[in-house]
Amino acid sequence: MSKDSKNTSSGDPEIDYKNLDKLRQYIGETGKILPGRISGASASQQRRITTEIKRARYLALLPYTDQHR
Amino acid sequence: MRHYEIVLLVHPDQSDQVPGMIERYGATIEKANGIVHRSEDLGRRQLAFPISKIHKAHYILFNVEVEQDVLDELESAFRFNDAVIRTMVIRRKGVITGNSLLYEEELRDKEKDRERDRLAGKSSEKKTDGEEPKEEAKDESGSDQSESKAEESDEAQESRESKEGDEGSE
Repeated sequence: MSKDSKNTSSGDPEIDYKNLDKLRQYIGETGKILPGRISGASASQQRRITTEIKRARYLALLPYTDQHR
Repeated sequence: MRHYEIVLLVHPDQSDQVPGMIERYGATIEKANGIVHRSEDLGRRQLAFPISKIHKAHYILFNVEVEQDVLDELESAFRFNDAVIRTMVIRRKGVITGNSLLYEEELRDKEKDRERDRLAGKSSEKKTDGEEPKEEAKDESGSDQSESKAEESDEAQESRESKEGDEGSE
């Protein structure tokens, strides 16, 4: 997969728990976070993505799984 | 002082308290020499999964600059407020202003609602009557409903006036 070329040194402000459309690109159909090797994000980006997805999940903005009743 | 971002989830039944809560918490922050850089009412949103059998919640977002003791005070206030079902406080590195993406979404939704109400107002009154309970079932925020009703009545008056004007001209 293609790596995102536009990344700033001090963290991408696009990666935010409120940017749901962006974060949805990094979760699979089941709601799991895609591994960095699949998503193509750099290690530092992937760490940011992970924490932001987890924040969004805590606020029920994103699902933990597709099995929620 | 440090910068924090605070998100509150409020029980949908207590939605009408939200403007008051925003004001109240803003006042407590400013009384303690804190600064509120951004406060947004993100409206009622569908939750991605139910929290204690609730499927919707009212979201509030604050970006503030406060001392630690004030933040502790706020957090305990959130804990003792039964309307608040979940909170998140995160550290931020600087001043954050401007509309958040979620707020942009909420504004767009409100605009769409207004558009729908306008279209409903133009069609026959029976139709609008039929649509109102549906909107309530969809859990639109209270302020929206009152706004839409006010608009509808305004439009009704306008249409009546225009009719009268037509008659007069004839």
